[in-house]
Amino acid sequence: MLTIKILGPGCANCRKLEAVARDAASAAGVQAEFVKVSDMKEIMAYDLISTPGLVINEKLVSSGRIPTLAEVQKWMAV
Amino acid sequence: MGLNLGLINVFDRPMSRIFGIFERRAFSMDFVLKLLNGGAGTLAAYLAAHVLLCLLPAFFIAGAMAALIPKASITRWLGRNTPAHVSYPAAALAGSLIAVCSCTIVPLFAGIYRKGAGIGPATTFLFFAPAGNILALACTGSILGPEFAIARLLLCLLFGIGIGMLMAMIFRRDDVSHDAETDQLFAGQATLAPAATGVLLSLVGLLLAGTLKLWPLTDAVWTVDVPLAWAQAWQNSLFAWLPFDAARGEEGVSFQGSVLIGLLLLIAACAWRGMENIVEGANHWTWLVLGLTAITLLVAAMRLTPGPGTLAIVITGRVFAVALALWAVWHFARELAADDWRAWLWEAWRFVKQIFVLLIVGVFIVGMLRQIIRPEWIESLAGSNTVQANAVAVGFGVFMYFPTLVEVPVARLFLDLGMHPGPLLAYLMADPELSLQSMLMVAAVIAWTKTSVYVGLVALFSVCAGLLYGAWVDGAGWLPLGTVLALVLAGLIATLWYLKRRELAHAPTRIF
Repeated sequence: MLTIKILGPGCANCRKLEAVARDAASAAGVQAEFVKVSDMKEIMAYDLISTPGLVINEKLVSSGRIPTLAEVQKWMAV
Repeated sequence: MGLNLGLINVFDRPMSRIFGIFERRAFSMDFVLKLLNGGAGTLAAYLAAHVLLCLLPAFFIAGAMAALIPKASITRWLGRNTPAHVSYPAAALAGSLIAVCSCTIVPLFAGIYRKGAGIGPATTFLFFAPAGNILALACTGSILGPEFAIARLLLCLLFGIGIGMLMAMIFRRDDVSHDAETDQLFAGQATLAPAATGVLLSLVGLLLAGTLKLWPLTDAVWTVDVPLAWAQAWQNSLFAWLPFDAARGEEGVSFQGSVLIGLLLLIAACAWRGMENIVEGANHWTWLVLGLTAITLLVAAMRLTPGPGTLAIVITGRVFAVALALWAVWHFARELAADDWRAWLWEAWRFVKQIFVLLIVGVFIVGMLRQIIRPEWIESLAGSNTVQANAVAVGFGVFMYFPTLVEVPVARLFLDLGMHPGPLLAYLMADPELSLQSMLMVAAVIAWTKTSVYVGLVALFSVCAGLLYGAWVDGAGWLPLGTVLALVLAGLIATLWYLKRRELAHAPTRIF
Protein backbone atom coordinates (compact mmCIF):
# COMPACT_ATOMS: atom_id res chain seq x y z
CA MET A 1 0.00 0.00 0.00
CA LEU A 2 1.32 3.42 -0.94
CA THR A 3 1.75 6.26 1.52
CA ILE A 4 1.02 9.50 -0.25
CA LYS A 5 1.81 12.78 1.44
CA ILE A 6 0.57 16.19 0.31
CA LEU A 7 2.87 18.96 1.49
CA GLY A 8 1.49 22.43 1.88
CA PRO A 9 0.14 24.97 4.35
CA GLY A 10 -3.43 24.53 3.24
CA CYS A 11 -4.03 26.66 0.18
CA ALA A 12 -5.95 25.96 -3.00
CA ASN A 13 -3.02 24.33 -4.76
CA CYS A 14 -2.56 21.76 -2.02
CA ARG A 15 -6.26 20.91 -2.09
CA LYS A 16 -6.19 20.53 -5.87
CA LEU A 17 -3.13 18.32 -5.65
CA GLU A 18 -4.84 16.13 -3.11
CA ALA A 19 -7.90 15.86 -5.35
CA VAL A 20 -5.76 14.89 -8.34
CA ALA A 21 -3.85 12.34 -6.27
CA ARG A 22 -7.03 10.76 -4.95
CA ASP A 23 -8.53 10.61 -8.44
CA ALA A 24 -5.37 9.00 -9.77
CA ALA A 25 -5.34 6.42 -7.01
CA SER A 26 -8.96 5.42 -7.51
CA ALA A 27 -8.63 5.41 -11.31
CA ALA A 28 -5.60 3.17 -11.14
CA GLY A 29 -7.22 1.01 -8.49
CA VAL A 30 -4.27 1.54 -6.16
CA GLN A 31 -4.60 1.28 -2.39
CA ALA A 32 -3.17 4.40 -0.81
CA GLU A 33 -3.04 6.16 2.51
CA PHE A 34 -3.22 9.95 2.22
CA VAL A 35 -1.49 12.23 4.69
CA LYS A 36 -1.69 16.02 4.63
CA VAL A 37 1.42 17.71 5.97
CA SER A 38 0.85 21.35 6.93
CA ASP A 39 3.54 21.84 9.53
CA MET A 40 6.28 24.04 8.14
CA LYS A 41 9.10 22.16 9.84
CA GLU A 42 7.97 18.82 8.46
CA ILE A 43 7.51 20.30 4.99
CA MET A 44 11.00 21.74 5.05
CA ALA A 45 12.40 18.31 5.87
CA TYR A 46 11.54 17.21 2.34
CA ASP A 47 13.79 19.79 0.77
CA LEU A 48 11.43 21.48 -1.65
CA ILE A 49 11.59 25.12 -2.57
CA SER A 50 7.95 25.70 -3.28
CA THR A 51 4.66 24.07 -2.27
CA PRO A 52 2.59 22.09 -3.08
CA GLY A 53 4.62 18.94 -2.84
CA LEU A 54 3.73 15.34 -3.55
CA VAL A 55 5.55 12.59 -1.73
CA ILE A 56 4.96 8.92 -2.59
CA ASN A 57 6.47 6.40 -0.19
CA GLU A 58 8.84 9.05 1.19
CA LYS A 59 10.10 10.08 -2.22
CA LEU A 60 9.43 13.64 -3.40
CA VAL A 61 8.03 13.29 -6.91
CA SER A 62 6.68 16.75 -7.60
CA SER A 63 6.97 20.20 -6.14
CA GLY A 64 5.75 23.65 -7.02
CA ARG A 65 3.13 22.56 -9.55
CA ILE A 66 -0.01 20.51 -10.07
CA PRO A 67 0.82 17.39 -12.08
CA THR A 68 -1.70 15.82 -14.42
CA LEU A 69 -3.68 12.69 -13.61
CA ALA A 70 -1.53 10.71 -16.04
CA GLU A 71 1.71 11.79 -14.39
CA VAL A 72 0.54 10.87 -10.90
CA GLN A 73 -0.59 7.45 -12.09
CA LYS A 74 2.81 6.90 -13.65
CA TRP A 75 4.53 7.72 -10.37
CA MET A 76 2.21 5.44 -8.46
CA ALA A 77 2.97 2.57 -10.79
CA VAL A 78 6.71 2.81 -10.22
CA MET B 1 -36.73 63.37 13.20
CA GLY B 2 -38.93 64.19 16.14
CA LEU B 3 -42.58 64.94 15.78
CA ASN B 4 -43.33 68.25 17.36
CA LEU B 5 -46.84 68.47 18.70
CA GLY B 6 -46.28 71.96 20.00
CA LEU B 7 -47.97 72.92 23.23
CA ILE B 8 -50.27 69.95 23.53
CA ASN B 9 -48.07 68.28 26.10
CA VAL B 10 -50.76 66.03 27.42
CA PHE B 11 -50.72 64.16 24.13
CA ASP B 12 -47.00 64.44 23.74
CA ARG B 13 -45.89 61.33 25.48
CA PRO B 14 -48.40 58.81 24.16
CA MET B 15 -48.26 60.29 20.65
CA SER B 16 -44.55 60.37 20.49
CA ARG B 17 -44.49 56.85 21.87
CA ILE B 18 -46.67 55.65 18.99
CA PHE B 19 -44.83 57.65 16.39
CA GLY B 20 -41.61 56.71 18.06
CA ILE B 21 -42.26 53.05 17.34
CA PHE B 22 -42.94 53.77 13.69
CA GLU B 23 -39.97 56.05 13.51
CA ARG B 24 -37.67 53.48 14.96
CA ARG B 25 -38.92 50.85 12.56
CA ALA B 26 -38.76 53.23 9.62
CA PHE B 27 -35.38 54.42 10.77
CA SER B 28 -33.90 50.97 10.94
CA MET B 29 -35.40 49.86 7.61
CA ASP B 30 -34.15 53.03 6.00
CA PHE B 31 -30.82 52.55 7.61
CA VAL B 32 -30.45 48.97 6.43
CA LEU B 33 -31.45 49.98 2.93
CA LYS B 34 -28.97 52.81 3.05
CA LEU B 35 -26.26 50.39 4.11
CA LEU B 36 -27.07 47.92 1.36
CA ASN B 37 -27.25 50.67 -1.19
CA GLY B 38 -23.92 52.00 -0.05
CA GLY B 39 -22.37 48.57 -0.32
CA ALA B 40 -23.84 47.87 -3.74
CA GLY B 41 -22.97 51.30 -5.02
CA THR B 42 -19.35 51.09 -3.98
CA LEU B 43 -19.08 47.60 -5.39
CA ALA B 44 -20.63 48.56 -8.72
CA ALA B 45 -18.42 51.60 -9.03
CA TYR B 46 -15.44 49.46 -8.13
CA LEU B 47 -16.17 47.10 -11.00
CA ALA B 48 -16.19 49.99 -13.40
CA ALA B 49 -13.86 50.29 -16.29
CA HIS B 50 -10.62 51.52 -14.83
CA VAL B 51 -10.45 48.94 -12.10
CA LEU B 52 -11.21 46.06 -14.45
CA LEU B 53 -8.49 47.16 -16.85
CA CYS B 54 -6.12 46.88 -13.95
CA LEU B 55 -7.44 43.87 -12.12
CA LEU B 56 -8.11 41.41 -14.97
CA PRO B 57 -4.63 41.59 -16.51
CA ALA B 58 -3.12 41.56 -13.04
CA PHE B 59 -4.57 38.13 -12.27
CA PHE B 60 -3.06 36.75 -15.44
CA ILE B 61 0.25 38.40 -14.63
CA ALA B 62 0.26 36.90 -11.16
CA GLY B 63 -0.53 33.51 -12.64
CA ALA B 64 2.26 33.86 -15.19
CA MET B 65 4.71 34.82 -12.49
CA ALA B 66 3.79 31.91 -10.30
CA ALA B 67 3.83 29.39 -13.13
CA LEU B 68 6.42 30.55 -15.63
CA ILE B 69 9.26 32.09 -13.66
CA PRO B 70 11.40 29.24 -12.38
CA LYS B 71 11.96 29.81 -8.69
CA ALA B 72 15.53 28.62 -8.85
CA SER B 73 16.50 31.25 -11.38
CA ILE B 74 16.18 34.12 -8.95
CA THR B 75 16.65 32.41 -5.63
CA ARG B 76 20.07 31.18 -6.60
CA TRP B 77 21.28 34.72 -6.02
CA LEU B 78 20.14 34.72 -2.42
CA GLY B 79 22.84 32.57 -0.92
CA ARG B 80 24.75 33.90 2.04
CA ASN B 81 27.99 34.13 0.16
CA THR B 82 26.53 36.27 -2.57
CA PRO B 83 27.68 39.86 -2.09
CA ALA B 84 25.07 42.01 -0.43
CA HIS B 85 24.69 44.35 -3.36
CA VAL B 86 23.43 41.42 -5.42
CA SER B 87 21.49 39.39 -2.88
CA TYR B 88 19.32 42.19 -1.47
CA PRO B 89 18.11 43.56 -4.80
CA ALA B 90 17.62 39.99 -6.00
CA ALA B 91 15.51 39.29 -2.91
CA ALA B 92 13.37 42.33 -3.65
CA LEU B 93 13.06 41.33 -7.30
CA ALA B 94 12.05 37.83 -6.27
CA GLY B 95 9.48 39.28 -3.91
CA SER B 96 7.93 41.47 -6.56
CA LEU B 97 7.85 38.85 -9.27
CA ILE B 98 7.25 35.54 -7.66
CA ALA B 99 4.40 35.58 -5.25
CA VAL B 100 1.32 37.39 -4.17
CA CYS B 101 -0.30 35.70 -1.23
CA SER B 102 1.18 34.61 2.05
CA CYS B 103 0.42 30.97 1.43
CA THR B 104 3.01 31.03 -1.33
CA ILE B 105 5.35 33.61 0.17
CA VAL B 106 5.96 31.96 3.52
CA PRO B 107 6.76 28.48 2.15
CA LEU B 108 9.11 30.13 -0.32
CA PHE B 109 10.72 32.05 2.51
CA ALA B 110 11.11 28.78 4.38
CA GLY B 111 12.59 27.14 1.30
CA ILE B 112 15.16 29.77 0.54
CA TYR B 113 16.15 30.21 4.18
CA ARG B 114 16.64 26.53 4.54
CA LYS B 115 18.63 26.32 1.35
CA GLY B 116 21.20 28.73 2.64
CA ALA B 117 19.90 32.24 2.08
CA GLY B 118 21.07 34.60 4.79
CA ILE B 119 18.40 35.85 7.19
CA GLY B 120 18.86 39.29 5.63
CA PRO B 121 17.90 38.62 2.01
CA ALA B 122 15.28 36.10 3.11
CA THR B 123 13.65 38.75 5.30
CA THR B 124 13.77 41.28 2.49
CA PHE B 125 11.94 38.78 0.32
CA LEU B 126 9.41 38.11 3.07
CA PHE B 127 8.79 41.82 3.52
CA PHE B 128 8.71 42.92 -0.06
CA ALA B 129 6.54 40.20 -1.55
CA PRO B 130 3.18 40.98 0.05
CA ALA B 131 3.44 44.73 -0.33
CA GLY B 132 5.59 45.25 -3.39
CA ASN B 133 4.34 42.63 -5.82
CA ILE B 134 2.98 43.76 -9.13
CA LEU B 135 -0.64 42.91 -8.34
CA ALA B 136 -0.66 45.04 -5.21
CA LEU B 137 1.06 47.91 -6.97
CA ALA B 138 -1.33 47.77 -9.92
CA CYS B 139 -4.32 47.88 -7.60
CA THR B 140 -2.85 50.70 -5.55
CA GLY B 141 -2.11 52.73 -8.64
CA SER B 142 -5.53 52.19 -10.06
CA ILE B 143 -7.60 52.83 -6.97
CA LEU B 144 -5.52 55.28 -4.98
CA GLY B 145 -3.53 56.97 -7.68
CA PRO B 146 -0.04 56.62 -9.15
CA GLU B 147 1.66 58.65 -6.40
CA PHE B 148 0.67 56.08 -3.84
CA ALA B 149 1.84 53.22 -6.01
CA ILE B 150 5.22 54.79 -6.63
CA ALA B 151 5.62 55.75 -2.99
CA ARG B 152 4.63 52.25 -1.93
CA LEU B 153 7.13 50.71 -4.32
CA LEU B 154 10.06 52.97 -3.43
CA LEU B 155 9.56 52.95 0.31
CA CYS B 156 8.88 49.20 0.43
CA LEU B 157 12.05 48.66 -1.54
CA LEU B 158 14.20 50.89 0.65
CA PHE B 159 12.79 49.71 3.91
CA GLY B 160 12.60 46.10 2.84
CA ILE B 161 16.31 46.13 2.20
CA GLY B 162 16.83 48.11 5.40
CA ILE B 163 14.87 45.63 7.50
CA GLY B 164 16.71 42.75 5.91
CA MET B 165 20.05 44.34 6.69
CA LEU B 166 19.04 45.05 10.27
CA MET B 167 17.92 41.46 10.77
CA ALA B 168 21.23 40.31 9.32
CA MET B 169 23.11 42.53 11.74
CA ILE B 170 21.11 41.68 14.82
CA PHE B 171 21.23 37.96 14.22
CA ARG B 172 24.62 37.64 12.59
CA ARG B 173 25.88 35.06 15.05
CA ASP B 174 22.86 32.85 14.43
CA ASP B 175 23.41 33.33 10.74
CA VAL B 176 26.93 31.98 10.91
CA SER B 177 25.90 28.78 12.69
CA HIS B 178 22.85 28.43 10.40
CA ASP B 179 25.13 28.73 7.42
CA ALA B 180 27.35 25.97 8.69
CA GLU B 181 24.34 23.66 8.74
CA THR B 182 23.01 24.39 5.28
CA ASP B 183 26.05 24.56 3.14
CA GLN B 184 24.35 23.72 -0.12
CA LEU B 185 24.21 25.78 -3.23
CA PHE B 186 20.91 26.23 -4.97
CA ALA B 187 20.37 23.54 -7.50
CA GLY B 188 18.91 24.22 -10.91
CA GLN B 189 20.04 26.89 -13.30
CA ALA B 190 16.67 27.09 -15.02
CA THR B 191 16.20 30.14 -17.20
CA LEU B 192 13.14 31.86 -18.51
CA ALA B 193 12.07 30.58 -21.93
CA PRO B 194 11.70 33.28 -24.60
CA ALA B 195 8.00 32.55 -25.03
CA ALA B 196 7.44 32.99 -21.30
CA THR B 197 9.31 36.28 -21.32
CA GLY B 198 7.17 37.39 -24.24
CA VAL B 199 3.96 36.48 -22.45
CA LEU B 200 4.99 38.30 -19.29
CA LEU B 201 6.07 41.44 -21.10
CA SER B 202 2.90 41.47 -23.21
CA LEU B 203 0.78 41.12 -20.11
CA VAL B 204 2.58 44.00 -18.43
CA GLY B 205 2.08 45.94 -21.66
CA LEU B 206 -1.61 45.12 -21.47
CA LEU B 207 -1.75 46.40 -17.93
CA LEU B 208 -0.02 49.61 -18.86
CA ALA B 209 -2.10 50.08 -22.00
CA GLY B 210 -5.22 49.73 -19.93
CA THR B 211 -4.32 52.02 -17.10
CA LEU B 212 -1.97 54.79 -18.18
CA LYS B 213 -3.70 58.13 -18.49
CA LEU B 214 -1.63 59.50 -21.31
CA TRP B 215 -2.22 60.81 -24.75
CA PRO B 216 -2.66 59.13 -27.29
CA LEU B 217 -4.43 56.51 -25.21
CA THR B 218 -7.11 58.89 -24.04
CA ASP B 219 -7.66 60.40 -27.45
CA ALA B 220 -10.92 59.66 -29.22
CA VAL B 221 -10.04 58.24 -32.58
CA TRP B 222 -13.44 57.41 -33.98
CA THR B 223 -16.99 57.73 -32.78
CA VAL B 224 -19.83 55.47 -33.82
CA ASP B 225 -23.35 56.63 -33.09
CA VAL B 226 -25.65 53.71 -32.61
CA PRO B 227 -29.36 54.50 -32.44
CA LEU B 228 -30.41 53.07 -29.11
CA ALA B 229 -33.43 54.80 -27.69
CA TRP B 230 -33.34 53.31 -24.22
CA ALA B 231 -29.68 53.96 -23.52
CA GLN B 232 -30.03 57.32 -21.85
CA ALA B 233 -33.13 56.34 -19.91
CA TRP B 234 -31.27 53.30 -18.59
CA GLN B 235 -28.32 55.40 -17.49
CA ASN B 236 -30.59 57.91 -15.80
CA SER B 237 -32.33 55.20 -13.85
CA LEU B 238 -28.94 53.78 -12.85
CA PHE B 239 -27.89 57.16 -11.53
CA ALA B 240 -31.16 57.47 -9.67
CA TRP B 241 -30.75 54.09 -8.08
CA LEU B 242 -27.12 54.55 -7.08
CA PRO B 243 -26.63 58.22 -6.41
CA PHE B 244 -23.57 59.81 -7.72
CA ASP B 245 -21.70 61.72 -5.07
CA ALA B 246 -18.21 62.67 -6.12
CA ALA B 247 -17.57 64.58 -2.92
CA ARG B 248 -18.00 61.44 -0.89
CA GLY B 249 -16.09 59.36 -3.40
CA GLU B 250 -19.10 57.48 -4.72
CA GLU B 251 -18.80 57.10 -8.44
CA GLY B 252 -22.08 55.68 -9.50
CA VAL B 253 -22.65 53.24 -12.33
CA SER B 254 -22.90 54.36 -15.90
CA PHE B 255 -24.28 52.57 -18.94
CA GLN B 256 -20.80 51.29 -19.66
CA GLY B 257 -20.44 50.12 -16.08
CA SER B 258 -23.58 48.06 -16.33
CA VAL B 259 -22.42 46.47 -19.60
CA LEU B 260 -19.14 45.54 -17.96
CA ILE B 261 -20.88 44.08 -14.95
CA GLY B 262 -23.06 42.04 -17.28
CA LEU B 263 -19.97 40.70 -19.04
CA LEU B 264 -18.36 39.86 -15.71
CA LEU B 265 -21.43 37.88 -14.68
CA LEU B 266 -21.25 35.95 -17.95
CA ILE B 267 -17.59 35.18 -17.31
CA ALA B 268 -18.42 34.07 -13.78
CA ALA B 269 -21.05 31.70 -15.13
CA CYS B 270 -18.59 29.97 -17.46
CA ALA B 271 -15.40 30.25 -15.48
CA TRP B 272 -15.65 27.23 -13.23
CA ARG B 273 -16.28 24.82 -16.04
CA GLY B 274 -13.60 26.31 -18.20
CA MET B 275 -10.86 26.68 -15.67
CA GLU B 276 -11.18 24.25 -12.82
CA ASN B 277 -9.63 21.34 -14.70
CA ILE B 278 -7.34 23.36 -16.91
CA VAL B 279 -4.40 21.26 -15.79
CA GLU B 280 -5.85 18.44 -17.87
CA GLY B 281 -6.32 20.69 -20.87
CA ALA B 282 -8.56 23.39 -22.33
CA ASN B 283 -12.16 22.78 -23.28
CA HIS B 284 -14.77 24.89 -25.10
CA TRP B 285 -15.69 26.71 -21.92
CA THR B 286 -12.06 27.76 -21.50
CA TRP B 287 -12.01 29.46 -24.86
CA LEU B 288 -15.36 31.08 -24.08
CA VAL B 289 -14.06 32.47 -20.81
CA LEU B 290 -10.86 33.77 -22.37
CA GLY B 291 -12.76 35.30 -25.27
CA LEU B 292 -15.20 37.03 -22.94
CA THR B 293 -12.30 38.37 -20.89
CA ALA B 294 -10.73 39.88 -24.00
CA ILE B 295 -14.05 41.44 -25.00
CA THR B 296 -14.48 42.85 -21.49
CA LEU B 297 -11.09 44.50 -21.67
CA LEU B 298 -11.86 46.01 -25.06
CA VAL B 299 -15.24 47.32 -23.92
CA ALA B 300 -13.61 48.78 -20.82
CA ALA B 301 -11.17 50.62 -23.05
CA MET B 302 -13.93 52.28 -25.04
CA ARG B 303 -16.20 55.06 -23.87
CA LEU B 304 -19.90 54.45 -24.09
CA THR B 305 -21.83 57.67 -23.75
CA PRO B 306 -25.61 57.64 -24.07
CA GLY B 307 -27.18 60.63 -25.79
CA PRO B 308 -30.78 61.47 -26.67
CA GLY B 309 -31.95 58.44 -28.60
CA THR B 310 -28.45 57.20 -29.37
CA LEU B 311 -25.43 55.58 -27.86
CA ALA B 312 -22.09 57.07 -28.78
CA ILE B 313 -19.39 54.42 -28.88
CA VAL B 314 -16.08 56.21 -28.70
CA ILE B 315 -13.12 54.17 -29.89
CA THR B 316 -10.14 55.64 -28.09
CA GLY B 317 -6.45 55.10 -28.67
CA ARG B 318 -6.59 52.82 -25.67
CA VAL B 319 -8.78 50.35 -27.55
CA PHE B 320 -6.08 49.89 -30.16
CA ALA B 321 -3.35 49.62 -27.55
CA VAL B 322 -5.30 47.00 -25.59
CA ALA B 323 -6.08 45.09 -28.79
CA LEU B 324 -2.42 45.12 -29.74
CA ALA B 325 -1.35 43.92 -26.31
CA LEU B 326 -3.97 41.15 -26.39
CA TRP B 327 -2.68 40.02 -29.75
CA ALA B 328 0.88 39.99 -28.40
CA VAL B 329 -0.18 37.86 -25.42
CA TRP B 330 -1.91 35.41 -27.76
CA HIS B 331 1.09 35.30 -30.07
CA PHE B 332 3.54 34.38 -27.35
CA ALA B 333 1.17 32.16 -25.43
CA ARG B 334 0.80 29.92 -28.45
CA GLU B 335 4.50 29.14 -28.25
CA LEU B 336 4.41 28.02 -24.66
CA ALA B 337 4.71 24.34 -23.87
CA ALA B 338 1.41 22.68 -22.96
CA ASP B 339 2.47 22.18 -19.36
CA ASP B 340 3.43 25.83 -19.10
CA TRP B 341 0.29 27.48 -20.40
CA ARG B 342 -1.92 25.13 -18.45
CA ALA B 343 0.02 25.88 -15.27
CA TRP B 344 -0.23 29.59 -16.06
CA LEU B 345 -4.00 29.55 -16.48
CA TRP B 346 -4.39 27.33 -13.44
CA GLU B 347 -2.41 29.74 -11.28
CA ALA B 348 -4.38 32.70 -12.62
CA TRP B 349 -7.63 30.86 -11.87
CA ARG B 350 -6.37 29.99 -8.41
CA PHE B 351 -5.78 33.67 -7.68
CA VAL B 352 -9.21 34.56 -8.98
CA LYS B 353 -10.86 31.97 -6.76
CA GLN B 354 -8.87 33.06 -3.79
CA ILE B 355 -8.92 36.79 -4.13
CA PHE B 356 -11.88 37.84 -6.20
CA VAL B 357 -14.67 36.67 -3.93
CA LEU B 358 -13.00 38.18 -0.89
CA LEU B 359 -12.39 41.36 -2.84
CA ILE B 360 -16.06 41.64 -3.79
CA VAL B 361 -17.21 40.96 -0.25
CA GLY B 362 -14.56 43.29 1.14
CA VAL B 363 -15.54 46.12 -1.15
CA PHE B 364 -19.21 45.62 -0.32
CA ILE B 365 -18.48 45.82 3.39
CA VAL B 366 -16.32 48.87 2.83
CA GLY B 367 -19.25 50.46 1.00
CA MET B 368 -21.48 49.76 3.97
CA LEU B 369 -18.94 51.10 6.42
CA ARG B 370 -18.73 54.27 4.39
CA GLN B 371 -22.32 55.01 5.44
CA ILE B 372 -21.54 54.58 9.10
CA ILE B 373 -18.08 55.95 9.71
CA ARG B 374 -18.05 59.67 10.22
CA PRO B 375 -15.25 61.67 8.65
CA GLU B 376 -14.70 63.42 11.98
CA TRP B 377 -13.56 60.21 13.65
CA ILE B 378 -10.97 59.53 10.98
CA GLU B 379 -9.82 63.10 10.87
CA SER B 380 -9.32 63.36 14.60
CA LEU B 381 -7.36 60.12 14.70
CA ALA B 382 -5.35 60.37 11.51
CA GLY B 383 -6.15 63.57 9.72
CA SER B 384 -2.67 64.99 9.87
CA ASN B 385 0.80 63.61 9.56
CA THR B 386 1.81 63.03 13.16
CA VAL B 387 3.62 60.14 14.78
CA GLN B 388 0.45 59.27 16.66
CA ALA B 389 -1.60 59.19 13.47
CA ASN B 390 0.88 56.92 11.78
CA ALA B 391 1.08 54.64 14.78
CA VAL B 392 -2.70 54.35 14.88
CA ALA B 393 -2.77 53.51 11.18
CA VAL B 394 -0.12 50.80 11.61
CA GLY B 395 -1.91 49.41 14.66
CA PHE B 396 -5.12 49.23 12.69
CA GLY B 397 -3.32 47.43 9.87
CA VAL B 398 -1.86 44.91 12.28
CA PHE B 399 -5.03 44.08 14.13
CA MET B 400 -7.51 44.22 11.28
CA TYR B 401 -6.30 41.71 8.83
CA PHE B 402 -7.69 41.96 5.32
CA PRO B 403 -7.02 39.42 2.60
CA THR B 404 -4.54 40.29 -0.12
CA LEU B 405 -5.61 43.35 -2.11
CA VAL B 406 -8.64 44.17 0.03
CA GLU B 407 -6.51 46.61 2.00
CA VAL B 408 -6.55 48.88 -1.06
CA PRO B 409 -10.33 49.58 -1.17
CA VAL B 410 -10.22 49.97 2.61
CA ALA B 411 -7.47 52.53 2.16
CA ARG B 412 -9.61 54.30 -0.43
CA LEU B 413 -12.43 54.50 2.10
CA PHE B 414 -10.17 56.11 4.67
CA LEU B 415 -8.73 58.50 2.13
CA ASP B 416 -12.19 59.66 1.13
CA LEU B 417 -13.11 60.11 4.77
CA GLY B 418 -10.19 62.39 5.43
CA MET B 419 -7.20 60.32 6.43
CA HIS B 420 -3.93 61.98 5.63
CA PRO B 421 -1.88 60.24 2.90
CA GLY B 422 1.02 59.74 5.32
CA PRO B 423 -0.74 57.48 7.82
CA LEU B 424 -2.52 55.88 4.87
CA LEU B 425 0.76 54.73 3.39
CA ALA B 426 1.85 53.49 6.80
CA TYR B 427 -1.33 51.39 6.91
CA LEU B 428 -0.76 50.10 3.37
CA MET B 429 2.72 48.97 4.23
CA ALA B 430 1.89 47.32 7.54
CA ASP B 431 -1.36 45.56 6.68
CA PRO B 432 -0.19 42.98 4.10
CA GLU B 433 2.85 42.09 6.13
CA LEU B 434 1.51 41.27 9.51
CA SER B 435 -1.26 38.73 9.67
CA LEU B 436 -1.38 36.34 12.58
CA GLN B 437 -1.57 33.34 10.29
CA SER B 438 1.52 34.19 8.30
CA MET B 439 3.42 35.16 11.43
CA LEU B 440 2.68 31.74 12.88
CA MET B 441 4.10 30.13 9.77
CA VAL B 442 7.16 32.39 9.83
CA ALA B 443 7.77 31.60 13.50
CA ALA B 444 7.82 27.91 12.60
CA VAL B 445 10.73 28.70 10.29
CA ILE B 446 12.80 31.20 12.26
CA ALA B 447 11.51 30.97 15.85
CA TRP B 448 9.68 33.64 17.84
CA THR B 449 12.63 35.83 18.81
CA LYS B 450 13.48 36.64 15.23
CA THR B 451 9.81 36.91 14.29
CA SER B 452 9.09 39.44 17.04
CA VAL B 453 12.08 41.54 16.01
CA TYR B 454 10.80 41.39 12.44
CA VAL B 455 7.31 42.50 13.45
CA GLY B 456 8.73 45.35 15.50
CA LEU B 457 10.93 46.50 12.63
CA VAL B 458 8.02 46.39 10.17
CA ALA B 459 5.87 48.48 12.48
CA LEU B 460 8.68 50.98 13.07
CA PHE B 461 9.55 51.34 9.41
CA SER B 462 5.92 51.63 8.36
CA VAL B 463 5.49 54.57 10.72
CA CYS B 464 8.66 56.15 9.34
CA ALA B 465 7.53 55.58 5.75
CA GLY B 466 4.20 57.18 6.55
CA LEU B 467 5.86 60.18 8.15
CA LEU B 468 8.17 60.62 5.19
CA TYR B 469 5.46 60.33 2.56
CA GLY B 470 3.16 62.55 4.56
CA ALA B 471 5.86 65.16 4.84
CA TRP B 472 6.36 65.03 1.09
CA VAL B 473 2.65 65.41 0.41
CA ASP B 474 2.55 68.33 2.82
CA GLY B 475 5.17 70.06 0.77
CA ALA B 476 8.52 69.20 2.27
CA GLY B 477 11.07 69.38 -0.48
CA TRP B 478 12.95 66.56 -2.11
CA LEU B 479 16.25 67.71 -0.72
CA PRO B 480 15.68 67.42 3.03
CA LEU B 481 13.73 64.16 2.66
CA GLY B 482 16.23 62.69 0.27
CA THR B 483 19.06 63.63 2.58
CA VAL B 484 17.39 61.97 5.55
CA LEU B 485 16.80 58.77 3.61
CA ALA B 486 20.30 58.76 2.19
CA LEU B 487 21.82 59.26 5.62
CA VAL B 488 19.79 56.44 7.14
CA LEU B 489 20.67 54.05 4.35
CA ALA B 490 24.32 55.05 4.42
CA GLY B 491 24.39 54.48 8.18
CA LEU B 492 22.92 51.01 7.76
CA ILE B 493 25.32 50.01 5.02
CA ALA B 494 28.30 51.36 6.92
CA THR B 495 27.37 49.48 10.09
CA LEU B 496 26.78 46.24 8.22
CA TRP B 497 30.06 46.55 6.37
CA TYR B 498 31.95 47.33 9.58
CA LEU B 499 30.43 44.37 11.38
CA LYS B 500 31.24 42.02 8.52
CA ARG B 501 34.83 43.26 8.46
CA ARG B 502 35.16 42.62 12.18
CA GLU B 503 33.62 39.21 11.83
CA LEU B 504 35.97 38.18 9.03
CA ALA B 505 38.93 39.45 11.00
CA HIS B 506 37.90 37.33 13.97
CA ALA B 507 36.79 34.36 11.91
CA PRO B 508 39.41 31.85 13.08
CA THR B 509 38.28 32.20 16.68
CA ARG B 510 34.61 31.72 15.88
CA ILE B 511 34.53 28.11 14.91
CA PHE B 512 32.05 26.55 17.32
